[in-house]
Amino acid sequence: MDSLNTLWLSTGLANFELGQVIMMLVGCGLLYLSIARKFEPLLLLPMGFGAILTNIPAAGFSEVGGLLHYIYYAGIDTGIFPLIIFMGVGAMTDFSALIANPKTLLLGAAAQFGIFATLFGAIALNYVPGIEFTLKDASAIAIIGGADGPTAIFLASKLAPELLGAIAVAAYSYMALVPIIQPPIMRALTTEDERKIEMAQLRPVTKIEKVIFPLGVLMMTIFFLPSATPLVGMFCLGNLMRESGVVDRLSTTAQNELINITTIFLGLGVGSKLSSEAFLNVETLGILALGAVAFSIGTASGVLMAKTMNKLSNEQINPLIGAAGVSAVPMAARVANKVGLEANPHNFLLMHAMGPNVAGVLGSAVAAGILLALVGG
Amino acid sequence: MDNMQQHFIEAGTLMLAGMVFVFAFLGILIFFINTVLARLAIRFPDPIVTPTTRINKKNKSANANSGDISPQVVAAIGGAIKRYRTEHGQT
Repeated sequence: MDSLNTLWLSTGLANFELGQVIMMLVGCGLLYLSIARKFEPLLLLPMGFGAILTNIPAAGFSEVGGLLHYIYYAGIDTGIFPLIIFMGVGAMTDFSALIANPKTLLLGAAAQFGIFATLFGAIALNYVPGIEFTLKDASAIAIIGGADGPTAIFLASKLAPELLGAIAVAAYSYMALVPIIQPPIMRALTTEDERKIEMAQLRPVTKIEKVIFPLGVLMMTIFFLPSATPLVGMFCLGNLMRESGVVDRLSTTAQNELINITTIFLGLGVGSKLSSEAFLNVETLGILALGAVAFSIGTASGVLMAKTMNKLSNEQINPLIGAAGVSAVPMAARVANKVGLEANPHNFLLMHAMGPNVAGVLGSAVAAGILLALVGG
Repeated sequence: MDNMQQHFIEAGTLMLAGMVFVFAFLGILIFFINTVLARLAIRFPDPIVTPTTRINKKNKSANANSGDISPQVVAAIGGAIKRYRTEHGQT
């Protein structure tokens, strides 16, 4: 009878707590979003599964000695996984559109207002009972507005590791929702005529420009913002591997096998942070709400900046490309292209929107560096 | 409450400093692209090579797109021209 009792006590059924069951359902929700709705499946699938694993009672996945514990501490706590992913993103990024039209960097900069405005929102949420965000927490939440998954995870792991699960879920969910969140804001802030604007064709960019560009960006980061060099440095390394043309094997590995392997572990590691104690609270709701606000403000400020530039500059600029300033490569650029095509079927904005789009990646990495330098110390 | 006010002031400073820095950083990058990169592009005659390779690439892709039909089309056109010429010559 004793052994039967011991056996019963070692089953999941005997040990389940309500929080664990709810978190497993959250994990299943993430699996549903990734499989049925195709929301950022590359990350949400392992993340959802990680959430289920970490909440299994008596299995100890996230305790010392458990698999997810080591994955988290080896790759996310150290910041290694998001940085390797950033290198892969660098190897996938083509800066031609940006180099051909450098003014679009201003759009990438403007869209970062979403990050800094959300800081205020996060601090204001402290008025809600049950929520207590420090400036570090607020900064880590605000970076969701950068619409850049690896950057958000990197910064959250440095500034607010206890909020990492909720921040990563919010960042990736909203990135998947870009085609739903952005178009109404873009239409509301632009006139029909502005959306119809066709832009001049971009000039061809030479190879030497593309090779020197990542080195120049790295040099500037070294001079002005060393705290951003982990992100920007890995990004530039990936991009240099791509553009130099002499290490195609490394470039291919960085943008395929390496980034894929890392994504599996990053997803699992983030999933391990989705435990009931860390996730089931009012703060998570606050983070989810702030994430949507951050995205919307980023989109709006990018569009408004593009409108202003269109009025001030001799060259015509379609304000829709401003929305692509919120990184989320290449989804945001595709959205700008799609909304442009609705207004004018002959208007192909994709290449023009890629400029602010990759500028947004640089912009959010710079913003993350600033937050690290000012708040992280 | 004082604490909250302090937080708001800090957040405001952070926002101001952050936005100024992001614009300054990316502004310098624009300057870098417009001066250094533009000059490099002019000095090194890469751009002359680029259009020709582009045209080649386009031709290649056009061939690739049409696949196996392409040689047949060429042959058909060639045949038509030949026939036209001979017919034209005869009349």
